[in-house]
Amino acid sequence: MTDVLAKFRLVGTGGVLAYRALFNWARLPVFIGTLLAEPVTQLVFFVYLGRQLGVANDTFFIVGNAVLAASKAGVYGGTMAVGNERRFGTLGNVLLSPRSRSAVFLGRALPYAANGLFVAVFTLTVGSLLFGLDLPVQSLPGIAAALVIASLTCAFFGLTLGALGLRLLDVWLVSNIAYVLLLILTGVNVPSETLPGWVQAIGDFVPVTHAAEAARLAAAGADFETLAGPLALEAAVCVGFAVLSALLLHVFEKAGRTSGSLETI
Amino acid sequence: MDTIRLLGTGVLLHAKQMSRSPLEIVISLVDPLVYATLAVYLFRAGDEPHAVIEAAIGAGMMAVWVSVLFGSGGAIQKQRFQGTLELLMLAPRRPVVCFLPITIATAVVGVYGLLATLLWGVVVFGMPLDIADPAAFVIAVVGVVASLGMMGLLLASLFIMLPNANALANTLSYPIWMLSGMLLSLSVLPGWTTPLSNALPTTWGARAVREAAEGGAVWPSLAAAVGLGLLCLAIGAVAMTRMERRARVAATLSLA
Amino acid sequence: MVIAMTDLAIKAEGLRRTYRSRNGWLKPSWRHTEAVRGISLEIERGELFGLLGPNGAGKTTTIKMLTTLLLPTSGSARVAGFDVVQDTREVRKRVGYVFGGDRGLYDRLSGLDNLRYFAELYAVPAREQRTRIAELLELVGLTGREREKVEGYSRGMRQRLHLARGLLHRPEVLFLDEPSIGVDPVGARELRRTVADLASSGTTVLLTTHYMAEAEELCGRIAVIADGAIQQIGTAEELKHRTDGRRVLTAEVFGASEADLDRIRLLPSVHGVTVEDRGLSQIVTVQSAVGTDIEPQVREALTGIRVGRIDKREPSLEDAYIAIVTGVDRDADERTGGTAGVPG
Repeated sequence: MTDVLAKFRLVGTGGVLAYRALFNWARLPVFIGTLLAEPVTQLVFFVYLGRQLGVANDTFFIVGNAVLAASKAGVYGGTMAVGNERRFGTLGNVLLSPRSRSAVFLGRALPYAANGLFVAVFTLTVGSLLFGLDLPVQSLPGIAAALVIASLTCAFFGLTLGALGLRLLDVWLVSNIAYVLLLILTGVNVPSETLPGWVQAIGDFVPVTHAAEAARLAAAGADFETLAGPLALEAAVCVGFAVLSALLLHVFEKAGRTSGSLETI
Repeated sequence: MDTIRLLGTGVLLHAKQMSRSPLEIVISLVDPLVYATLAVYLFRAGDEPHAVIEAAIGAGMMAVWVSVLFGSGGAIQKQRFQGTLELLMLAPRRPVVCFLPITIATAVVGVYGLLATLLWGVVVFGMPLDIADPAAFVIAVVGVVASLGMMGLLLASLFIMLPNANALANTLSYPIWMLSGMLLSLSVLPGWTTPLSNALPTTWGARAVREAAEGGAVWPSLAAAVGLGLLCLAIGAVAMTRMERRARVAATLSLA
Repeated sequence: MVIAMTDLAIKAEGLRRTYRSRNGWLKPSWRHTEAVRGISLEIERGELFGLLGPNGAGKTTTIKMLTTLLLPTSGSARVAGFDVVQDTREVRKRVGYVFGGDRGLYDRLSGLDNLRYFAELYAVPAREQRTRIAELLELVGLTGREREKVEGYSRGMRQRLHLARGLLHRPEVLFLDEPSIGVDPVGARELRRTVADLASSGTTVLLTTHYMAEAEELCGRIAVIADGAIQQIGTAEELKHRTDGRRVLTAEVFGASEADLDRIRLLPSVHGVTVEDRGLSQIVTVQSAVGTDIEPQVREALTGIRVGRIDKREPSLEDAYIAIVTGVDRDADERTGGTAGVPG
């Protein structure tokens, strides 16, 4: 029991502390500009582009971009979590900590997921108000479920990128490319069926794709059974990235300890 | 004459300094290529037929703006971190002459994005490089670089006065893309945005480049772009001189 | 009248500079720090003048006011005959500024490109640029390395490039702010030789440093600055008079505490005690009146502590400097009612 509690505390406070200490957006104006205002401007841009081209209706772009908004906090946050710890030389301590690594790990991801969820909800609200989108009340639980799962997936995706950043020269290159590629791969801003087959195939394995689909279905009034499919797929992607990131960190940590490159690369 | 030589050499060397990090260049090219690709697929999915070249030029111009926004917006701060700000200020020149080469260089570096999206269009999407008036296109691009460089000077002088300029910069990519009619057409925007669009050098610059590529009267748009740029330059020059004076009072030129 | 004024390379009268720093966001309070409190100086053309003082004494602030980078809070200064506040442009044309450390260069450009850029900024005529740059590269010993990127340069090479940059426009007055900081001994010696050559060819040089030997070797006159004010000014020989009638004893000790040192300070003929940590050991320097051998008393004061080598010698410039600077500390403590140095 105490063991469980200790683990819980580790997940909670350990995560929040790391988040506060390492997250460069902790300053309010930066947070507002980068995480709140920018996703809204992106949403507006694509709504107008969609209107001009007649590709899809406003709902398509508003809901899609709102779900995608969770990715910025996740991708950059997760990358920073690992990247900054390396930069500040604390990574070795974290990885070598005798306490359960997966608990430390989940603690790392949770704040970014929570942050992503907040950003996504904010973007959806502002976007709906701006364009007069009236979401039916019964669609909200489904949309909420999609946002929650997408936020978690994005956080683990971010940690995966951060783990890759341990190995690659530049963490920011990885996260920059990944973040902008999500614009296409997730089918949020262009209907997937118009994309080449192989792009759609990759899209199935990245965060947001299935959650965005679920959220759109919910907004269109689909019942929960219809949503269950895409939500389950998003959850599967989420677990996939959680396992992958844990595995990568573990492998690179081992390799780092033998070659001594953990602190130096 | 001296000043022109200084501007020329300055632009060249600052562009060189900014181009020497392959990593930074690669990062700066990823976004425009993704936007170009996205635009191509969106255009294909849309009702009206749009040429690939429109997507390429639109995404390319977006890249030029981003380069100026972040490069020029942070120009003074960057010189301060490098320890070169004091040395620039110490030169017996007006501050505007010292900083204009830097902001123009950020526009020059932004043109890499435009070239990359055009090349991407040709290689990936088999786009025929049908430029209606190649000579006018080159002149328009040079004019846009000058115009946005001057706009960058104004940005540099305004951003240095704001405590959280980088946060503001983050929010200014999409709105300026929209208001300048890069990628999307101004006709879909609400009517109240028209005066804003008309006041931006980016709007006229993007239009001039598009007209040169697709056929149209390039020169009026280009003249408007350069004219508005000069206006930015005039305001920026005054702001720079004030900024220098303030910095000498407040001791903010160096990091220490 | 005008001619008489321009005979001086630098003339400062009552220069003061206060910095304001802000504390807190919601309820900002302003803290005022007086970095320079009334400096007056006259430096002749062609002089090599040293400004010597501990960190934070106000050396760099003084230089920045003289080079127009900072506006004085009060007081006035003329450099090369022009007022640093009114005739900024004219002053800037005539001064060179070189500071120590790694920064202030465009790292991704070659040394040559750095020089070309600053040559343009200083409007060195196009037809002269090539020869001027070649000449300077030769002077600072970078010929052959000028096409390499600066990021690959060593500390010393960067410093020499800085010097070349500062000399491009043949400044009448050259300000060198701790130029030898972090440069290896051989590099520092070469730097000193270059500076000496410059001065002998008529350039006025104002050098700040906290290396005593550097100041003694190079400078005709030295001003010791501490606590924002000039404490003493004169040739190295003149400054040494501060320690006239004194002898210096240095003792290597292991594990002496402040209380032990205070026992030495209280000895009747002792003028000053300083200590320098050297890892395991400490070097204690004791200045005392000439004529009394204080070694037995010092040994007695240090009873119970391991004492290594003890040397006795004539005072050096460094001892004079320490006497001047520690004298200031004592005054400052008394002024602020500080209790530093009181045992307990």
